[in-house]
Amino acid sequence: MSELTYATIDQTVLQTLEKPRPGYWAAVAVLAGGILLGAACWLYQIFVGIGVGGQNNPVAWGTYLINFVFWVGIAHSGTLISAILHLFRAGWRNPIARAAETMTVFAVCTAGLFPFIHLGRVWAVYYMLPYPNQRTLWPNFQSPLMFDVVAISTYLTVSSLFWYTGMLPDLATVRDRATGLRKKVFTVISLGWTGKHEQWRHYTRGYLFFAALATPLVISVHSVVSWDFALGVVPGWHTTIFAPYFVAGAIHSGLAMVLTLMIPLRHIFHYEKIITVDVLENVAKTIILTGMIVGFAYATEFFIAWYSFNTVEIEVFRYRMLGDYRVGFWIMVVCNTIIPLLFFFKKIRTSIRWLFGLSLLVNVGMWFERFVIIITSVARDFIPHAWGLYAPTAIEFGIMLGSFCLFFFLFLLFVKHLPSVSMTEIKETLHEGGPHAG
Amino acid sequence: MKEDRMPAERYVMGLFSDEDQAAAVAADLPNTPWKLARVHSPIPSHKLAQVLKVKKSAVGWFTLAGGIIGFFTGFLLAIFTATRWGLIVSGKPVVSLIPFFIVGFEFTILFAVFGNVIGLITQTDLPDYGGLQHYDPRCSGSHFGVLAACSEDGQAELEDYFRRKGGQARVFEA
Repeated sequence: MSELTYATIDQTVLQTLEKPRPGYWAAVAVLAGGILLGAACWLYQIFVGIGVGGQNNPVAWGTYLINFVFWVGIAHSGTLISAILHLFRAGWRNPIARAAETMTVFAVCTAGLFPFIHLGRVWAVYYMLPYPNQRTLWPNFQSPLMFDVVAISTYLTVSSLFWYTGMLPDLATVRDRATGLRKKVFTVISLGWTGKHEQWRHYTRGYLFFAALATPLVISVHSVVSWDFALGVVPGWHTTIFAPYFVAGAIHSGLAMVLTLMIPLRHIFHYEKIITVDVLENVAKTIILTGMIVGFAYATEFFIAWYSFNTVEIEVFRYRMLGDYRVGFWIMVVCNTIIPLLFFFKKIRTSIRWLFGLSLLVNVGMWFERFVIIITSVARDFIPHAWGLYAPTAIEFGIMLGSFCLFFFLFLLFVKHLPSVSMTEIKETLHEGGPHAG
Repeated sequence: MKEDRMPAERYVMGLFSDEDQAAAVAADLPNTPWKLARVHSPIPSHKLAQVLKVKKSAVGWFTLAGGIIGFFTGFLLAIFTATRWGLIVSGKPVVSLIPFFIVGFEFTILFAVFGNVIGLITQTDLPDYGGLQHYDPRCSGSHFGVLAACSEDGQAELEDYFRRKGGQARVFEA
């Protein structure tokens, strides 16, 4: 960081907006193909019916809900990094805050698709909105599913506004160095920002309030998602630990996704002097913490099941560990709680390859966590004659692939068209003296 | 310090690569015949804010107002829709305040953010495309710009003043 100047920061970031190489367009094309495949699968489901997915009695919530929770979880660390660490004045978050916020916005967009997909009759989605209608039918806000609609739409709106507001000074920087059509576009979207003292006076205050409001919001959103499960009477779901457990898990998966995205970004765009190994190391240290919280939550669930002496609860947890879905359970345990402990070794948490590899494994583990929670509980609840197994169908796999492609597609478009690192915040860090200055 | 929008014949901007130099000039300008119009910086500068005696922003009041409106809107919406049903489910009262708190909370945050954005837009006068008229693009990069108004006769002297203080000068037609 010490070798950086204001000019080199601008130069490094603005270089990323130059004309892309053919490899970029090839990656965009591959991802667009994946999106089309997912869209085709969804279209097929709309025509044929929701039955083309594997969801059926007793497992009515399959990969659509797994992916919904997974993507909402991914969205969380963006706000942790941009808002919570901003309030704590953690200077190391500055180089990765913009990309993490972007990840949040795109992950919430991707997550938001799944309730639509799972509806089956997607054209009836407007039933969820409270508006006067001839049916005199209104949404019932006593339902956790309606909490979800309110929480997720609030989160998407707030994180999008936070993202755009945070980008305003950087959009002006791009405008001031662009030519032609790009200059015109950035002139409009930077809203005439000139960095005059009157603008900074209100902006810094407004940004602080944004961070202060986003912090409780991020905690509430995944708590609300957890109540989709915890407010049901299903064994394995009906537990008070779910809200903090889900929030910690969400941040755990989101931090892993930050590493997964930042490491290639850093390499491709030569951000080594800005996104230093120290920054990535700090993310890895936070993953150790969240991994331990998640591990503690897993252990607590088992302890409470045993301690309650409730035979149904005990059976559900025995089944999770040793039943039909045991492979998913052990992937979850190993990837989310044991593998992050490797970051205790400095050699591992400062090695880019290890960081990248382990971040992928944590992502896999977190996907399986949602699989284990959602599937195992309903596959084997109170009545043995209603027990049953679930496996995703090809249509579900297609839609899932499409969702991953959509997320990475949007991110690829972002890194080439908007500043992926906050130039202003890096300059502030530099100004206040050093890599960890806040 | 309020921004000066008084008509002048010329505007001259002193561009400084050093924050301290810009702050010193901004502090010194009131003791000169020229009028300080505004200061631009690539980052929020505490030193400049101190020199310019910048007052606390009022954006927070908009945020607070939004939050209060949102809290009651959320609760009232949930109560209103529940009374349209009028069904007792699982023995719970039709107007159940505890679950409605969640809706109230989310609306508080949502409307507070709307208030915050409205506050930002109104207080900073954005969008302000006219502000680009007396602006140098270097101010979004690595320079601090101090804009001062002067008469046509005083222009050369003001330019010289900025140069003596360690900066570069750029002249704008009023």
